[in-house]
Amino acid sequence: MTIGTLPASAPSRRARRLLASAAALAAAASFAAPALAQYKQAPMLDQAVADKKLPPVAERLPEKPFVEKPVQSVGKYGGTLRTTILANGDHYNLTRTVANETIVRWTPDWSEVVPSIAESFTASPDATTYTFKLRKGMRWSDGTPFTADDIMFWYEDVFLSPELTPSKNPIFVLEGKPVVVTKLGDYEVQFKFAAPYGLFLQQLAYGQGHIPIIYPKHYLKQFHAKYNEAGIKTMLAESQTVKDWVSLFNSKVSLTFQPAFWQNLDLPTLNPWLLTTAYGPTDRVAVVRNPYYWKVDTAGNQLPYIDRITWQKIDDVQLMLLKATTGEFDFSFRHINNSTFKSVLYDNQKQGKYRFFDVKDLPANDAVILLNLNVNDPVKRKVFQNKDFRIALSHAINRQEIIDLIYVGRGTPSQVAVHKGHELYNERLSKQYVEYDPKKSNEILDKIGLDKKDSEGYRLGPDGKRFSIVFMVADVFGSSYPDVMLQVQKYAKAVGIDIQLRNVDRARLNTMWYANEHEAYIWNCVGGLSEAYTDVRCYMPFQKADIFFAMKWSEWYSDPKTGEEPPPEVKASMALYDKVKSASTKEAQLTAMKAFLETAADNFYTIGITHPDPKYGIVGTSVKNVFEPLPITGNLWHPAPTLTQFYFDR
Amino acid sequence: MTSFILRRLLYMIPTLFAVSVVAFFIIQLPPGDYLSTLMADWAAQGGAVESGTLDALRRRFGLDQPFYVQYWLWISGILTRGDFGISFELGKPVTEVIWGRLGYTFLISGLTLIAIWSVAIPIGIYSAVRQYSVGDYVATFIGFAGLAIPNFLLALVLMYLLVAVFGQSVGGLFSPDMVDEPWGWAKVVDLLGHVWLPVLVVGASGLASLIRILRANLLDELYKPYVVTARAKGMSEFRLLLKYPVRVALNPLISTLGWILPTLVSGEIIVSVVLSLPTSGPMLLRALMSQDMYLAGSLILMVSTLTMIGTLLSDILLAVVDPRIRYQ
Repeated sequence: MTIGTLPASAPSRRARRLLASAAALAAAASFAAPALAQYKQAPMLDQAVADKKLPPVAERLPEKPFVEKPVQSVGKYGGTLRTTILANGDHYNLTRTVANETIVRWTPDWSEVVPSIAESFTASPDATTYTFKLRKGMRWSDGTPFTADDIMFWYEDVFLSPELTPSKNPIFVLEGKPVVVTKLGDYEVQFKFAAPYGLFLQQLAYGQGHIPIIYPKHYLKQFHAKYNEAGIKTMLAESQTVKDWVSLFNSKVSLTFQPAFWQNLDLPTLNPWLLTTAYGPTDRVAVVRNPYYWKVDTAGNQLPYIDRITWQKIDDVQLMLLKATTGEFDFSFRHINNSTFKSVLYDNQKQGKYRFFDVKDLPANDAVILLNLNVNDPVKRKVFQNKDFRIALSHAINRQEIIDLIYVGRGTPSQVAVHKGHELYNERLSKQYVEYDPKKSNEILDKIGLDKKDSEGYRLGPDGKRFSIVFMVADVFGSSYPDVMLQVQKYAKAVGIDIQLRNVDRARLNTMWYANEHEAYIWNCVGGLSEAYTDVRCYMPFQKADIFFAMKWSEWYSDPKTGEEPPPEVKASMALYDKVKSASTKEAQLTAMKAFLETAADNFYTIGITHPDPKYGIVGTSVKNVFEPLPITGNLWHPAPTLTQFYFDR
Repeated sequence: MTSFILRRLLYMIPTLFAVSVVAFFIIQLPPGDYLSTLMADWAAQGGAVESGTLDALRRRFGLDQPFYVQYWLWISGILTRGDFGISFELGKPVTEVIWGRLGYTFLISGLTLIAIWSVAIPIGIYSAVRQYSVGDYVATFIGFAGLAIPNFLLALVLMYLLVAVFGQSVGGLFSPDMVDEPWGWAKVVDLLGHVWLPVLVVGASGLASLIRILRANLLDELYKPYVVTARAKGMSEFRLLLKYPVRVALNPLISTLGWILPTLVSGEIIVSVVLSLPTSGPMLLRALMSQDMYLAGSLILMVSTLTMIGTLLSDILLAVVDPRIRYQ
């Protein structure tokens, strides 16, 4: 099996009809729902139904269940999917694998937004108002109906509560004003924004869109001060872990699936599987099917097909690899899916009874040199902010050599940019200054006033001292960064720039960049495909995430009362992105985004090294209905949306 | 003897206090706190980090308080309620998450201790009695090889061999399908099938030093007049050996027993990570990395207590074994 390049018919290239034809999409998603009587269930539930512990399958499903179109064929019930997570700190993997039910979702190929928990949706022509119709008869995993009240509970009692949500998630805030949610009926809610917000549906379809639907009112109100003040007092008195009701509430359900979410076995959910062994200090995590899950296949079989999923918690990646080669996992796509391990996995396919599948995980760049444009040292700040300095450094790097040496030849020299073949591809953004040209680099450096050198051949800064850049290097993502930086250090020395490397732990790096204490570091960058629309952190100073090349400016962008006012060209770029956000048609979004990426190319904030080749995962040879290539990004949480249709054919 | 033990117990109180302060202080030393780890976690999921939320959490967890206030909250909880605080990362009381782990740690440490003593003592005696013989060289060589090979490397190589040659499931203390089973005979057997690997790996490095210490001490004793006297009186060689010189030569082994306990606990961290064992080592490592301070502090406190108890035990044992020791 080979890992292909991005197929010419990249889905995101197809027109994404977002707003104008929302109704048409809704119709498309609910093709030919089987009649009620035809619904079938997994054999493992038969006994419970016969014993009257569960109602018959037709009563557990909504009136119009979500009909999932199988990738290959209608599947068979049963089996346990064995997979793995890295011990502690990797609970996000649980989320990716089984917990991504959102109001609207991306189609498996990541090409358009379609209804999911919502039966249908409509958007107002000015892109300010979104109305969602929920599925009548849909139930939480404990059998209680899921209605508009649950969403209103999130909105009124969680989102608007200053105690539970001291600052609001930016997805639900526009121009400083939070969304207004109104209940239009038991099964209908409306989201209204203060200004046009054309990207809202996309945002809601990404991972963070789970936020409004993880709060079952009937269960959680007992932990909310507004509903059960007296009861909470008793609970607090008995608890050793929590001291106030907010902590109590947060320990029962947690935003963005922090560990608490994976520790509460009682929390009702809309996910396809329910927690049976909680995430904690033990060796594993396990889930079992949700008997009230609201999706069926085209033949009327209630999903998911697979009964159980178990994760082995493993402390060490090498051990994970070893276990994969002995066939202990039916599915695995994180931690071991890099080029270093591929040959080992390839050689052991037969013994491990697995095959490779393609993962479309294409970041905007795999190794990005980020100079801190807001660094505290005024001398360095001035030099870093000089675009010519960044251009000189970019020309000094021999990208192909790095790719050959460290990435086993897999990759293409590129700056931080959207990949070729995507509708947002911009050749200048991708290819400018990527040629290895130390002579040109030297010329530019001489020209911008770094022309004096000390006895060791290093250039002197404007203050007459040797100009050194201290790089923070965290040993993450398959430990390629220290190796890459050793090369970069060598190239920089050749043009007289002194790069000092400091190996740091990832946690330490986090605290450093958050406090703006770093001069420079190396990281990867999201935004290589469609997520560039909603996440522009690598194209402009955007939000506080893991890319901090100009933190003060991003603070200013989120709230002009904070941070530092950026120079005009940065502000112009920000204004263009605001246009993307408010564009109400697909065409307007595309045009605005293209214009915005042009300014990103002009500004050239960061220095990219390589565009990676697509990654891969491994899956048991008997597992069917695996969607390929499986798209994954930081906030596109796969394979959860398609995992329900995986099945074993042995 | 009783007053000796009591006195020693009293000394432990200020020592433990000092250890707890130092441990807590060291955990606080790196900039940032658990919430910076949490923040990075959010960022990795594609979420934005809202400063307001972090500040509120920081206040809630008391992380905005100065060091001594945080320390007081923690230590007073332990003293008054046996409450070691909560693990931020796991959202559970520390006491709830560490007992199981400490249990497995003791199990592995205990088994290792028994294993290396039962191998080292006979070999040490043999090496001393048959100094410079072929057997002495072979035993010494094996011991030194164990000392020289890094633990984690030995673990990796053994795991690879087990998988590649024997096709056995490695990592962890149980087979995947036994992990969730209740304790029973089958589970114990499964445990024994897995636990020998960490015991072998952790024990390998300690073996050489034990052999050498015993050998050197015994060599000192073997030619002393009291041994010669006993031999001259016609005592059988084997009984003579065990009754006098070996008993004396064991002294350093016993007096370092107290240190062996904590080194087995901390020395197995890397091995535990590599072998994915459910012991306290990986948990301490992770807690330190994510600055989960109550969890890390409590683990360090436990290990320190362990050291002190170990030292006390070895002193008592010494007093029993070595007739030359007086309590004053």
